[in-house]
Amino acid sequence: MSSRKKILLKVIILGDSGVGKTSLMNQYVNKKFSASYKATIGADFLTKEVLVDDRLVTMQLWDTAGQERFQSLGVAFYRGADCCVLVYDVNNSKSFDTLDSWRDEFLIQASPMDPESFPFVVLGNKVDVEESKRMISSKRAQAFCQAKGGIPYFETSAKQAVNVEQAFEVIARNALAQEESQDFNPDFPETIPINMNESNEGCAC
Amino acid sequence: MASASCDARPASPPSPSASFYALSDDEEGDYSTIRHARSGKGVKLLYAKSKVYVHPSPSAKDNISGYIAILEQKGPASTDAARRRASAASSSSRTSKDATSSRSDSEGLLVAWLPESGMGEAKEIYAKVELADADEPRKQSYLVPPPPVTTTHSSSVGAYAFAVPLSEIYSIAFRVPNSGWWHGSIVINTRAGDSFPALFFHDPECQSTTNERKKLQRESFSISKDGGGVYWGGDAILTWLKRYAVIERSHMDPSVYLVDPNEEDKKAFLSGAKPTPEQLRNVLEGKHKDEPGQKKDGPDPLTKALREARWTVLEKLSQVTTFTRRTAQAVAENKNLPPQVRRLMQSPQVQTVSDEFDSARLYLARWAMSIAEQAEKEKSQRIWTAQEILEMEESELGSFEILDTESLSMVDRRKPVTEKEWKGFFNSRTGRLEKTPDEVKERIFHGGLSKDDDVRKEAWLFLLGVYEWDSTADERNAKMRSLRDEYIRLKGAWWERLVDETGTLQEREWWKEQRMRIEKDVHRTDRHIPLFAGEDIAHPDPDSPFADAGTNVHLEQMKDLLLTYNEHNRDLGYVQGMSDLLAPIYAIEQDDAVAFWGFVGFMERMERNFLRDQSGMRLQLLTLDHLCRFLDPKLYDHLQKLDSTNFFFFFRMLLVWFKREFEFNDILRLWEGLWTDYYSANFHLFIAMAILEKHRDVIMEHLKGFDEVLKYVNELSGTIDLQSTIVRAEALYRRFQRMVEAIDKKGNFPKVPAVRQRLPQPPPAGPTPATGRASASASGRERTPQEGATSSEPVISPELRALLSREVPKLEKREVREHGGGVGS
Repeated sequence: MSSRKKILLKVIILGDSGVGKTSLMNQYVNKKFSASYKATIGADFLTKEVLVDDRLVTMQLWDTAGQERFQSLGVAFYRGADCCVLVYDVNNSKSFDTLDSWRDEFLIQASPMDPESFPFVVLGNKVDVEESKRMISSKRAQAFCQAKGGIPYFETSAKQAVNVEQAFEVIARNALAQEESQDFNPDFPETIPINMNESNEGCAC
Repeated sequence: MASASCDARPASPPSPSASFYALSDDEEGDYSTIRHARSGKGVKLLYAKSKVYVHPSPSAKDNISGYIAILEQKGPASTDAARRRASAASSSSRTSKDATSSRSDSEGLLVAWLPESGMGEAKEIYAKVELADADEPRKQSYLVPPPPVTTTHSSSVGAYAFAVPLSEIYSIAFRVPNSGWWHGSIVINTRAGDSFPALFFHDPECQSTTNERKKLQRESFSISKDGGGVYWGGDAILTWLKRYAVIERSHMDPSVYLVDPNEEDKKAFLSGAKPTPEQLRNVLEGKHKDEPGQKKDGPDPLTKALREARWTVLEKLSQVTTFTRRTAQAVAENKNLPPQVRRLMQSPQVQTVSDEFDSARLYLARWAMSIAEQAEKEKSQRIWTAQEILEMEESELGSFEILDTESLSMVDRRKPVTEKEWKGFFNSRTGRLEKTPDEVKERIFHGGLSKDDDVRKEAWLFLLGVYEWDSTADERNAKMRSLRDEYIRLKGAWWERLVDETGTLQEREWWKEQRMRIEKDVHRTDRHIPLFAGEDIAHPDPDSPFADAGTNVHLEQMKDLLLTYNEHNRDLGYVQGMSDLLAPIYAIEQDDAVAFWGFVGFMERMERNFLRDQSGMRLQLLTLDHLCRFLDPKLYDHLQKLDSTNFFFFFRMLLVWFKREFEFNDILRLWEGLWTDYYSANFHLFIAMAILEKHRDVIMEHLKGFDEVLKYVNELSGTIDLQSTIVRAEALYRRFQRMVEAIDKKGNFPKVPAVRQRLPQPPPAGPTPATGRASASASGRERTPQEGATSSEPVISPELRALLSREVPKLEKREVREHGGGVGS
């Protein structure tokens, strides 16, 4: 059943502005780093074909604006996601503190079938920066991930390509598992019509 | 195809294929003859060129691709001629004045056009001959099946194919290509007074033309010929013909070349006398023989009869094509045409060489094409009658009406406003504007401001509302003084906050966060601009993530400016994207207080984009939705199928006014035009629509999903030609305005206004969004597929109507307080 068609894995990358979402994505897909990526406005995605356990899948990595107010329009992209990557900057404690709300917001907006088992991955980025500037220890981050039901955690540097490949390998594998688990659920439509205007009613702000 | 390079090789005859043809295979020595048919019958193919089209209708889909060729007929009569020709041609091509003896040379030769589809196996041979290096003597001569020879167009059978003896050709009208508007074409006029359908040279598709251009480029670093103009397919034809006949250019109409003219012809056409329009028309239409005292024989009765009866459908359609060409020419010569468009059309070599102009060229081509097709559609695909064609020709508008009235009747003056011109707008003593603000805005909207002087520094302050249009120089100076004071006060206020950590905890957190946000964003805003590129000073804050990289004075100024704005508008505060909006203003003014107030003026209209609830962005995306459905329902229908009618893929463009799509310098030009609110305070939505329209065909044909649309539109960044986009946006605005007027005018009649017939079927009823659609859903959605007669009147949604307003939609302070998401004042 699962091999009947090309598999597209939809991955959403979230996190505060400036933590390195765009950079991580570009490092993974294009093997490039630039210090001067402009702030992401709206949304964009990159795709990459990868082998996961000998199966060819296409990863579609969605990059969104980090400033929270821009998420209200971006929710359209959350639907049908197979994995959500939460990124923070290890040198910026605020970006770590918001991880929880990014996660909650995602679960509300994407409303996956089984929120408890929906795959997240946490990336602590910018580990290339000198140790003295580091605000969040590995231990603290791991404790957080443990508390949230054992979220996989990686410390990465998009700049120096540290752990990026490894992290996305796990992201791909978990996304594929999620995608396949959904295939067994006949009630879950493969595509949900997205309409921005729907959220008009729900927006209380 | 080949140049007259025979002199270099005295051993080889000038045109090997021609001279050796009469000999037997054995005698030909090195040359082997390829016979097409087993019978050995055939005509010799001397030259061929592919991708020569007949355009039977204005619609590109009807174009018929074929070959133009020079063929030599075998036969006792032509053998001697062919021999003689070989020697005659070599001399006549150099001294073409020697016209007396050459008439007979052309007798055995045929000029033919054959549709590709009907060529069968012979096509291979044609293709081979086309690409054979014309400068090298041919190793082989090629025989192909003889085409049916005709002397009049009317007698040619079927799909336009013809082969006319060169000796029967009286003249050929050449129309050189004009990039973006029309392909180069030739019309062959026979001695009997007939014209064959125009043959259009689709040069970009034609391998031999491309090769020749490349060769010219290699040899002379230019694809222009010696005489100027881009080398095109017609040049090859001229070169070929000059080998076999005397070709004289008419002085009366330089586009017409006479073939083997006699003395009378020369008198009539080669004199310097100015032709009457009738003469010209007659030549173009091949009616020269009816002119008194020009030709020796009148047409034979059969030809005459055929000419009388030549209003066949096909003939009519070829007339339509001619009409389109003429109209295009008229457009090109239209004085009201914006100079840059005219320039664009007149210097095709520029665009062919430079890829940068490619998009502009394609745009014009597609635009012209879509209009032609639109016009065709509106005629409900009826066959054009002769009467209609004549009427349209007389009106000189025809299918170009939309283009003509909407984008071409703009003021000719699209030159940028220079500082000198700007200063001239003001009274030299009082410094008060002596023109109306609208006159100035019109100039800026169409021409922009000069980038070569400092005019923007001052003019932008008017456009951004820092200065009143009716102020005197003294008043402006006084205002600027007080604004500088106010800037210093605001700057001091946030400085104090940061140093003294005043305010509530929540406020302090907010400030800290905002400062960090600004820091991060400024360091990644327009760093490719030299002004912002440097990292020549140490970062003042060692804790900044950019402390290692260093900074420069302009980045620091930008940060201060944005923090000052954060202080000035605490209800909203700094939001991502604002640094993109500030950078151009700072770059122009380069004075922090002045730039600040310019930015504040800009932000008054942009504020709504940054609200926490995104209501301003939603409204604009919704308006774009309505606009697209109104102007291009077919595209809208497609977008709806792709779940893309949220128009989210325009989010970035609308949020920061195309800042990420255009080069920095283009942004300066675009924004100053938008700031004028010359047509609409929401003209940026027409810019968006213009960008969308340009890619509508690609979107409709190739994009199959919401994600694909987003990706495609995101990747347009850096590829959009600004000038043509502005021109098109203006055309769209005018069309929009006219459609609204037409609908309003006919609002009370049960009949569907004509303008609505342009709109195809309404989109199938999909999920109806909550707002804004209610009124629009009555707008023709109930139209039956057959006819619009039963439809209710279209209603212009309030969102669409708001587009007609020139008043900038500004938020009330209260709205910003409620939805801004700042800490409040």
